[in-house]
Amino acid sequence: MSYVRLSEIPRTISFRTALMFLALFGCSFFALFGYIYWQTTGYLISEVDTALHREVDRQNAQEPALRRTEILKHTEQDPEGRLPYTLFDSAGTTIAGALSTLPTFSAYDKPAEFFWDKANGHDRPIRYLVHKLDDGSTLLIGQDIHDIREFDELLVNALVSGGSLLIVVGLLGAIALGVSARRRLDVLSRSIKIIVEGDLSGRLPTRGNNDDIDRIAGVVNGMLDALERLMSEVKGVCDDIAHDLRTPLTRLIAGLERAQRRNLTQKEYASAIDTAIEDAKGLMQTFRALLRISEIEGSARRSNFTLVGFNQICADAVELFEPLADERGMNLEFKPCEGVDTVMGDSQLLFDAVCNLIDNAIKFSPDGSDVEVTVSADSNNCGISIRDHGPGIPEEEREAVFRRLYRSESSRHTPGNGLGLSMVSAVARLHDMSLQVHDARPGCRVDLIGKAQNA
Amino acid sequence: MIYIGLLISSQELSATPMTHVLVIEDDPVTSREIEAALQDHGFDVTLVNNGREGLLAAISDTFDIIVLDRMLPGALDGLGMLTALRASGITTPVLILSALSALDERVRGLRAGGDDYLTKPFEFIELTARLDALNRRRAPPSAANRDSRLRIGNLEIDLLRRSVRRGERQIDLLPREYALLEYLAQHAGQVVTRTMLFEAVWNYSYDDRTNVIDVHIGRLRHKIDGEGDSPMLQTIRGAGYVLRSPE
Repeated sequence: MSYVRLSEIPRTISFRTALMFLALFGCSFFALFGYIYWQTTGYLISEVDTALHREVDRQNAQEPALRRTEILKHTEQDPEGRLPYTLFDSAGTTIAGALSTLPTFSAYDKPAEFFWDKANGHDRPIRYLVHKLDDGSTLLIGQDIHDIREFDELLVNALVSGGSLLIVVGLLGAIALGVSARRRLDVLSRSIKIIVEGDLSGRLPTRGNNDDIDRIAGVVNGMLDALERLMSEVKGVCDDIAHDLRTPLTRLIAGLERAQRRNLTQKEYASAIDTAIEDAKGLMQTFRALLRISEIEGSARRSNFTLVGFNQICADAVELFEPLADERGMNLEFKPCEGVDTVMGDSQLLFDAVCNLIDNAIKFSPDGSDVEVTVSADSNNCGISIRDHGPGIPEEEREAVFRRLYRSESSRHTPGNGLGLSMVSAVARLHDMSLQVHDARPGCRVDLIGKAQNA
Repeated sequence: MIYIGLLISSQELSATPMTHVLVIEDDPVTSREIEAALQDHGFDVTLVNNGREGLLAAISDTFDIIVLDRMLPGALDGLGMLTALRASGITTPVLILSALSALDERVRGLRAGGDDYLTKPFEFIELTARLDALNRRRAPPSAANRDSRLRIGNLEIDLLRRSVRRGERQIDLLPREYALLEYLAQHAGQVVTRTMLFEAVWNYSYDDRTNVIDVHIGRLRHKIDGEGDSPMLQTIRGAGYVLRSPE
């Protein structure tokens, strides 16, 4: 496994997201805990206050003498001073009870707190109430709230330790997430680097769980497929241009040089010029076809699409090629379809594509054989298939024939520039149609299938 | 660029006054070649290299035909210039030259007021043949043209009944053959390229990789130039066809 630098982790999205969630969770944790704390302590103190008031009321209702006796007795029974009731005279001297001095207080009958310095050296928090009695003496009713304070402390401790635990675990989790994300991205970026360095066959690794990164990797892999195909096409085109244009160029130059060298008659000059023009025209046709394919591939001509009937297009194309087939004793048969034959498309381009396919079928078929053009449709798709009885296309060449300027060995001696099927393929791609070459035994069948559109 | 001198139609030219062509093209090499080709063809050529000057020239002078490059430098490109020209009421036929072959580009060009559209790279024979056709279209129809019959030598075409006779011989043509013949007859004496035929008769633009048109023409020729008759439908090598009276 790769080593991930710690300083890189805070930059990962996973870490930041985890941190954000940690902060959110922490805030809600503290809010919840704070609320519980506030509610609990409030409740306990108010319980104490209620008890204090009740005791004051009870004492108030008693006879002064009885009250004094009772307080003395109470003090005796409560040696720990849990409930230090004390009676003071008007001068503030203790008449009966545990406390020796009256603590300073702000108002009568209002609960307050003080720390009671006990004789045994213990400090106890006391909540108390001071009441002025009818006979002029002052009554202090108190309650030791040490337990409540202790409970509060426990709560706060739990809050702090729980919170710290939360933060520590959350941080560790965030780091772990950051590390794992970083590792995964490192793997991806290493794969990309290898691809950038020239290995176009490389692909990004996926885990197969279709998570975010997997999906992006999938999209990038799709892009790489297209890129690889394009690159190989470009390379193929360069190679093929070099091969295919060199021959006519060489012939052209050789012919012109020959004419320059020799003393030719007027007539021979004219014929040399004619030959040169023919060669140059052939070259121009090749270039024009190349330009046309690039234009189709690079264009946004889809905006120009209209409803186009396959039957009409094929009928036009068959009608155009019928005499040519006839000349070679071939039978060009056309079977239109009965169902929906319309697709969204560019009629000119589709016509060109069909013409190319029919032209090929006629060119590569023996004299006297049949070529069938069939339009077929089902509920979703609508297709044109062109079948000949020629030698067919070998399995391994069925992809390559769509490459620009590709000429199979068997077709080297047939006229053509090797751009016809590339043009068909470009048209099919523009129309999102599938273009497939099948073995028709004997011969070959090319299917161009698109999505049917109801008018 | 390939330039092929056109040796035809000199006898037609001698009868008519010199045709003035305004060429608006910014590329100096192309415009020089166009100028040479059109001059060889017997046209009088004025060259302009931008849309603004082209518009001024077209408005201030009378031209028979305008050849307009689709892409021009400056504020006024080909289509803008054409729109302005048509807006100012000038109806001179315009042939648009463009590096863009897309069908919608063609449609846009024609919609803006163009009369014909030619994609670069083109052969000059194609340009001159199209200009001849435009020039012919511009000429006011003669009495013979208004007639519902076309006569070339002893070939007679009845445009209403769509029937064809050569001398005494009735010729039966398939619909497509008739359409071919009618187009050729309407441009009798002029070179008609395969591209022009294809666009006019099949209504698709032409992809020049096949010899299919030749086969159609061969059949038509076989029917109209029967055994005994002198040939009327001639192939012009490297250019196209011309239908002319054999005399």
